[in-house]
Amino acid sequence: MEHYDVVVIGAGHAGVEAANISEKYGLKTALITKNYSDLGKLSCNPSVGGVGKTHIASEVDILGGIICKIGDKSAIHYRVLNLSKGPAVWGVRAQIDRDLYSQNMKKYIKSSKIDLIEDEATNILEKNNKIIGVELSNIGKIKSKAVILTTGTFLNGKIYFGNESQEAGRIGNSSSKVLAKFINKNFKTMRLKTGTPPRIYAKSINYDVLEPQTSENNGIFLSYFTKQNTNKKINCFITKTNNKTHKIIRDNLNKSAMYSGIIKSQGVRYCPSIEDKITKFGDRNGHNIFLEPEGLNSDLVYPNGISNSLDKKIQLKFLRSIKGLEECEVDQFGYAVEYDSVDPRELKNNFETKKIENFYLAGQINGTTGYEEAAGQGIYAAIHAAIKIKKIKFSKKVFERDNSYIGVLVDDLTKLGVTEPYRMFTSRAENRLKLRTDNSYERFSDVINTKIFDNLEYNLITKNIKNEKSILKKLSLLKYTPNDLMKKNIKVKKDGKIRNGFEVLKFLEPTVNTFKKFYKLNINQKLLTKIYFDSKYEVFYDRERKSFQQLHKNKNMNLSNVNFNKIPSLSKEILEKLNKYKPTNLYDAGKISGVTPSALFQIIKHRKTKGSKVA
Amino acid sequence: MFNSGTIYSNFTPLVKAPVIGYRISGDDVLNILKKITKKNFSKDHSLIRVVKIYQKDESILDECSVVYFKSPKSFTGEDVCEIFLHGSPLIASQFEQLLKDLKVPDLRLAKNGEFSYRSVLNSKNSLKQAKAINGIISNESFSGLEYNKKLLFEGDIVSGLVPLREEVINLFSEITASIDFVDDEDFNFSQIKRKIRKFFTNCNNLLHKNRTNIEQKNICKIMLVGPVNVGKSTLFNKIIDKDRAIVTNIKGTTRDILSNEFIISSNRFEIFDTAGQRSKQGKIEKYGYKKAQKISREIDHFFVLIDQNTKKSDISTIIKDFMIHSNYSLIETKSDIYKYKTENIKINHSLERDKIYQKLKLSSIHQKYVKNKHKMIDLNLEEIDFLARILEYEPDIVKEKDILIIAQLMRNILDDFSFEFGYINNEDIYDRVFSKFCIGK
Repeated sequence: MEHYDVVVIGAGHAGVEAANISEKYGLKTALITKNYSDLGKLSCNPSVGGVGKTHIASEVDILGGIICKIGDKSAIHYRVLNLSKGPAVWGVRAQIDRDLYSQNMKKYIKSSKIDLIEDEATNILEKNNKIIGVELSNIGKIKSKAVILTTGTFLNGKIYFGNESQEAGRIGNSSSKVLAKFINKNFKTMRLKTGTPPRIYAKSINYDVLEPQTSENNGIFLSYFTKQNTNKKINCFITKTNNKTHKIIRDNLNKSAMYSGIIKSQGVRYCPSIEDKITKFGDRNGHNIFLEPEGLNSDLVYPNGISNSLDKKIQLKFLRSIKGLEECEVDQFGYAVEYDSVDPRELKNNFETKKIENFYLAGQINGTTGYEEAAGQGIYAAIHAAIKIKKIKFSKKVFERDNSYIGVLVDDLTKLGVTEPYRMFTSRAENRLKLRTDNSYERFSDVINTKIFDNLEYNLITKNIKNEKSILKKLSLLKYTPNDLMKKNIKVKKDGKIRNGFEVLKFLEPTVNTFKKFYKLNINQKLLTKIYFDSKYEVFYDRERKSFQQLHKNKNMNLSNVNFNKIPSLSKEILEKLNKYKPTNLYDAGKISGVTPSALFQIIKHRKTKGSKVA
Repeated sequence: MFNSGTIYSNFTPLVKAPVIGYRISGDDVLNILKKITKKNFSKDHSLIRVVKIYQKDESILDECSVVYFKSPKSFTGEDVCEIFLHGSPLIASQFEQLLKDLKVPDLRLAKNGEFSYRSVLNSKNSLKQAKAINGIISNESFSGLEYNKKLLFEGDIVSGLVPLREEVINLFSEITASIDFVDDEDFNFSQIKRKIRKFFTNCNNLLHKNRTNIEQKNICKIMLVGPVNVGKSTLFNKIIDKDRAIVTNIKGTTRDILSNEFIISSNRFEIFDTAGQRSKQGKIEKYGYKKAQKISREIDHFFVLIDQNTKKSDISTIIKDFMIHSNYSLIETKSDIYKYKTENIKINHSLERDKIYQKLKLSSIHQKYVKNKHKMIDLNLEEIDFLARILEYEPDIVKEKDILIIAQLMRNILDDFSFEFGYINNEDIYDRVFSKFCIGK
């Protein structure tokens, strides 16, 4: 019998990242999928990235993950969202050729040392609440030290078109009932809902009347390591729903699975079905639809913006009321999916379940949505499995909330749980100015090593970091008085303060020519943009650092006399915990799970401003 | 806005349901109950009684529970009864018809919010508490609900800054949406900046208004206005009991503006004397008159002095010049010289000082205006400090072009509000974002 270090069940975005990193860190790894052809399948929209999502993806990339690299290899259209705002919120989004992505993923996994097994996992084997292996439908039992379960929406998945329904996690795939039983028996679960739009035949769309959206070419890719993309680029197109469409949908809400009351589970507020959009925002003249081709050779188009669970006939009817789609033909109709997910508060901070040792959950099963969110969890769970089983050297600090979006995601999930599928937004991160896609190599520098990158990649990173350090060193040696700067037409306060080159950078136009003229130094645009914003945001980093220092300084603050109920800014959950554990000092308060740094600041502030009155 | 009388309204929706409830409030409640139930409720304060309600033709309209609350121990502070009919909209309509047929004078359907309004008038609830009731009912997030409950049940912590808290949540939500969901709706940066400036203007206004109010909260400001040589300065001197204003018989003696504080039975006043109004003014007088007009905005009450030479048109000019609304009384001076009958207050300069105070009704004026002012003061000193702290962010935010830095600073403001006035978490922000904007595909 094979004896694995790690068995990953499910080969979606969480699964492949988990298997990949586990193998790279030298663990004997098996990846189990029910259907080989579904490996790394993009089950919903044919794109990777976007604001918040790229942020997670770029962290996965620098941790040795594959979503960005394979994404770039398969990309056929690029856009950068928020380009007019700072790089902290830039969101590269790539349209992906579905077939290319699948092919590239298969090629990659096959070339690795991962054992890819095509079979169905029917049971998780544990002894005294500790993992011993997995039972497969055909092969039987296999032993493993750890199991990472990444089954997405396949647990008791049920899909709906209007009044029709069938059991499946995704169209064409049966759902895992046996496994679901095991999960439901051992963990608290909840039922969530998501949806997908119909797929339309490209040939049946009248593109002549539609507004095209061309691919941008600004040298910004998903992966840190991508230098170019030579794929042919395609256009996306934009069309709109109209009053006629709205009327058709409104008149047929009783033929929508979501609105007729068949589906009762919680959907998302931010990814509304077209039924939702028209019910809640019916006063709008139209809702945008982005027609995204599914690939270079694909004859299908993904109409982003009209996910729905209406009766098939109604779907066709409303589609044909839309400009450009008057004669459209549908390959696959839109549907809603209901599935079980585990309450992520069942997980420890390392994504191991509290109940069963060495059993990890990652991806949509934890109540999240999105490929990137899944990928982030897959790599996170596998790294922690490797830390535990193989005792690899890894600085867990990189996953602090103030250092990474993966940290934010883990912290939110395990501390707060979810009420709807969790998606990443940049506004979830308190330290947004620091958590940028252009500096992930810096934030994760402690964990960059030769195990996770090939020589070329590793050399590129180290060379770039060296180059940056040398430029920063040179800048720090340049000194300017306010008078020097006035002469160069830079307006600063006449405070007599001498500024170094780095501190002056934020006053300049961030272009290579300006930089060269001013400092007599060469630099590439990518690095210049990065250090320019570092210079600009330095004062905020500084503030953040100071407040953490303040926290450190006050860790012995006496809290025994504090009435926490008098601090209005503490959430109910935190208040309950503080009252339950009655910490005697700030340090103890910080150790209570769920008590956030911001809550600690509130306590300090309260103690300092009103403390004398509350005793 | 609202009138007196007894008011009624349903407090459950008029739809098929187990019960439909009506509330009646006002002087005629007992009278009405007696008429429709043939029972006397006067001794049944806060007891539930099951009684029959009779139609005009003596047939039974419904048998139902009725609770009576005796004034002042009721929600509105007036006599109140609550009637729980069987939940048929038809019964409800019969019931309303019955009330109309009673022909009780001044019985009418309540206007929106009128019960709460009466509870505020009768000091059963503060205005903030009344708002909190509305907040509890209409709030859709739990944190907001808890906050409003706190406001209602612990009244004293309610702050006049609550509207600003709402404003900052809305503003921050829009900023958040414009960054994270740039693809979903058209966001306009300059519009966001405009709203930010508006927010700070509101802070500034509130702060300014309250600062002046706090400083002068017990002072009632009155101003003497009137045509030249009508005797303003004579009265001024009489009131302050000091020979401060120069009094002569030459028209236009008082050229600049004089003011003085005085106290009558612990009521503080500040009184302003002004240059008289006449068509041909010297330069200095004109300046004085202008200055008086400028101050007039802060004045609580005007004494418009007239004599038998004063024409009606003179009075209306003065009222217009000083932007006087209804806050004035007409004073006839020199009534020892000219004697004829009017309804105006008559002042005779030979009168004793105390007698003049009485005639001018100074203490009731003081009560009226200082009380009004008290209503306007929503902020305590801590809250004023808080506002001043918030305003320290203004220069940095207003000049900033980077929306991310603006967001970071606005986040600090949001945290400050969260700290002082109730927890605001990310979910509250997202609730606002997703209800206001159509986000997602």
